[in-house]
Amino acid sequence: MKISRRTALKATLGSALAALPLPYVANAAGTDWSKLRGQTIVINWPSHPHFDIAKKLIPEFTAATGIKVELDEMQYLRMKDAQVLQMSKPQGDYDVIVYVIMWKTEYVQRNFLTELAPLFANEALAMKDYNKDDIITAYLEGLGLVGGPRGYLPGPGAKLYGIPYGAECSVLAYRKDIFAKHNLAPPKTYDDMLAAARKVKEKEPGMGGLTQRAQAGHQVTAGWLMHLTPYDGLVIDDKFEPRVSDPAAIKATEVYKEFIDTGPAGAASFDFGQCINSFLQGQSAMYCDSISIFGPARDPAKSKVTETTGYVVHPKAVKYSGELGGFGLAIPKNSARRDAAFAFMQWITAAQQDVRVTAQGGQPTRWSTLDHPDVKKIYPVDIYRECLKIANPDWRPIINEWTEISEKVLGIRLSEIITGKTPIKPAMDSAAAEIRTIMTRAGYYKT
Amino acid sequence: MQLGSGLDRRLTPYVFAAPAVLIMLFGLLYPVIEAFRLSFYEVRLGEPVTAQAFRGFAIFAEALSDSSVRKSMAVTLQFSIIVVAIEMFLGVGLALILEKPLRGMMVFRTLLVLPMMIAPICVGLIWRYMFDVNVGPINSWLSVFALKPAWLAESGLAFFAICVTDIWQFTPFVFILALAGLQGIDQSSVEAAKMDGASTLQIIRYVKLPLLAPILMITILMRVIDALRGLEVVYAMTNGGPGLSTELFSLHIYKSAFVTQRMGHSAALSICLLIVTTALSALLLMWSNPLRQKGR
Repeated sequence: MKISRRTALKATLGSALAALPLPYVANAAGTDWSKLRGQTIVINWPSHPHFDIAKKLIPEFTAATGIKVELDEMQYLRMKDAQVLQMSKPQGDYDVIVYVIMWKTEYVQRNFLTELAPLFANEALAMKDYNKDDIITAYLEGLGLVGGPRGYLPGPGAKLYGIPYGAECSVLAYRKDIFAKHNLAPPKTYDDMLAAARKVKEKEPGMGGLTQRAQAGHQVTAGWLMHLTPYDGLVIDDKFEPRVSDPAAIKATEVYKEFIDTGPAGAASFDFGQCINSFLQGQSAMYCDSISIFGPARDPAKSKVTETTGYVVHPKAVKYSGELGGFGLAIPKNSARRDAAFAFMQWITAAQQDVRVTAQGGQPTRWSTLDHPDVKKIYPVDIYRECLKIANPDWRPIINEWTEISEKVLGIRLSEIITGKTPIKPAMDSAAAEIRTIMTRAGYYKT
Repeated sequence: MQLGSGLDRRLTPYVFAAPAVLIMLFGLLYPVIEAFRLSFYEVRLGEPVTAQAFRGFAIFAEALSDSSVRKSMAVTLQFSIIVVAIEMFLGVGLALILEKPLRGMMVFRTLLVLPMMIAPICVGLIWRYMFDVNVGPINSWLSVFALKPAWLAESGLAFFAICVTDIWQFTPFVFILALAGLQGIDQSSVEAAKMDGASTLQIIRYVKLPLLAPILMITILMRVIDALRGLEVVYAMTNGGPGLSTELFSLHIYKSAFVTQRMGHSAALSICLLIVTTALSALLLMWSNPLRQKGR
């Protein structure tokens, strides 16, 4: 058979063009995702500083894999409505969801999420150099595992349903200049923290001691939780009985209220943005909340305290206990593009991308990221590692009813307490009774 | 045929109206019927209704005996009475002042109605910033008197703040309706009163306000219905707090549906609100129906 020069040229060019994407994809992603090229995935994505940085990398993912990405971006507490509605349908619009830690158990119990172990076992899909063991252990267990003890803790029965991304623990940030001025040592205990808060309130006009979240609903509960487990308190015990009116919880509530009283003006209505800004704008001497402060505190456009901020581990009350929270990525079971979704999850949480996002002020997901020189320049890495050691996977009960308990019971009772409308003990007794009603309705006490 | 023609004549309007009526029935009544059905089931967001246990009126009984529901109802009632009363006073007052053509009045009227044009969620965000304890302009002005109230952090002040916001947004609505009413008044009555020696206040009290009464009643009802359904502004400003001090009924319903995901409970509360607003709407229609005045 005679082959013309034109045919030979066409065939050669055609083969070259057809082969072109394969090595490109393989080089970029470490595996063969060429079959996924041309697919479009939809991600429910939060408006949040970490994710604002991460989304800048998405065009690179598309260039590397040929998978297009559409983001459905919204305020993070509003995502749950959209996610539940989408995941309840036979086929949902979302291929990847960003979930908050407190939703993970409910989502798995309602059969919404894809288990990830079989996907990681699929050699055609799993990135060869992904190294799951490099993901910060507390984050992987706290955000990814469901089905263990109490339904949400790591241990027997737990399976992986999500990858942490934008995860966080707590840290205490303080004003070095203000502490030096009043001969205060960086707080190691709650007594130190309370003493500092009182002194700042008394001696520094216009400044509060500790800034906290306190707006009615989710925020006030999140602020109160910062102190509950350090005082060895619990929301519910192993038998799912409410413990919010136990002496430990009452003590934590008294401390929370004192921090509000000695805090910046208007502290009782702060959401997270106002809470962090109060510290960054120099209106509070301390901040004890998410490590997401590390990035903004170094940014002169957002912070007036770039040179005067110091960090210590979340102080000890009765014991050391720090927050474990933030976000994770998961794939809804009703996604029609599961493989492309899994490719995205791996790519965005891979070591190279994690370093780049963290170096720009995002939140790290991997141990190796903490060792990277670019990250060490902006992160107090040693303190961060110490904070991770005390991150508590049982920071709040991650049960189906938690959102209702957090927002409709504690979110109201605590708000009444800090505004002085109701004394602590009666309010927390009421909260305990209301929690028990919810748990009874949900069938936790069946004999 | 005489009979056939008569029947045809009687049926013709119904035939022409039927498509619109059917669409309205489907579009308006079907969701209400579904909400009513939902209120009998303990169902969570995303779950099929039929898969759940039927609880009948037990959900209504539970919802209405809930102290937070009653508190929310009380807050809503208090809010509605206060804001509607003040809006009526200010709106009608402004209309009386500005009814005469003055230089630059068109510009002023346009500016005055601007708040009404802004999306409520934006209004909430704007006023949340205005009332911010640290960076808000209101506290910046008050700092002259060494005052720094925590507007949204104290129950009474937060309630005051949401009232101010609603009054700012909806006084123009009252103003527009009152102004339209005033301009429609037969001037011969006013002239007659003047010739009888009535003062300006007497003309307002005994001539203008009585003639304006039907429009004012309709305005009051429309504002009360709107106030009862208020959600976005409070959601953005206070999220119902501190405690439950600003949790309007619609916000409570929203939280039941999307925070606790108790759709049946939320539907039951919605039905209660619907009954109240429907009763008020019926009253409104009775007053505003032009056919009624013609005795038809």
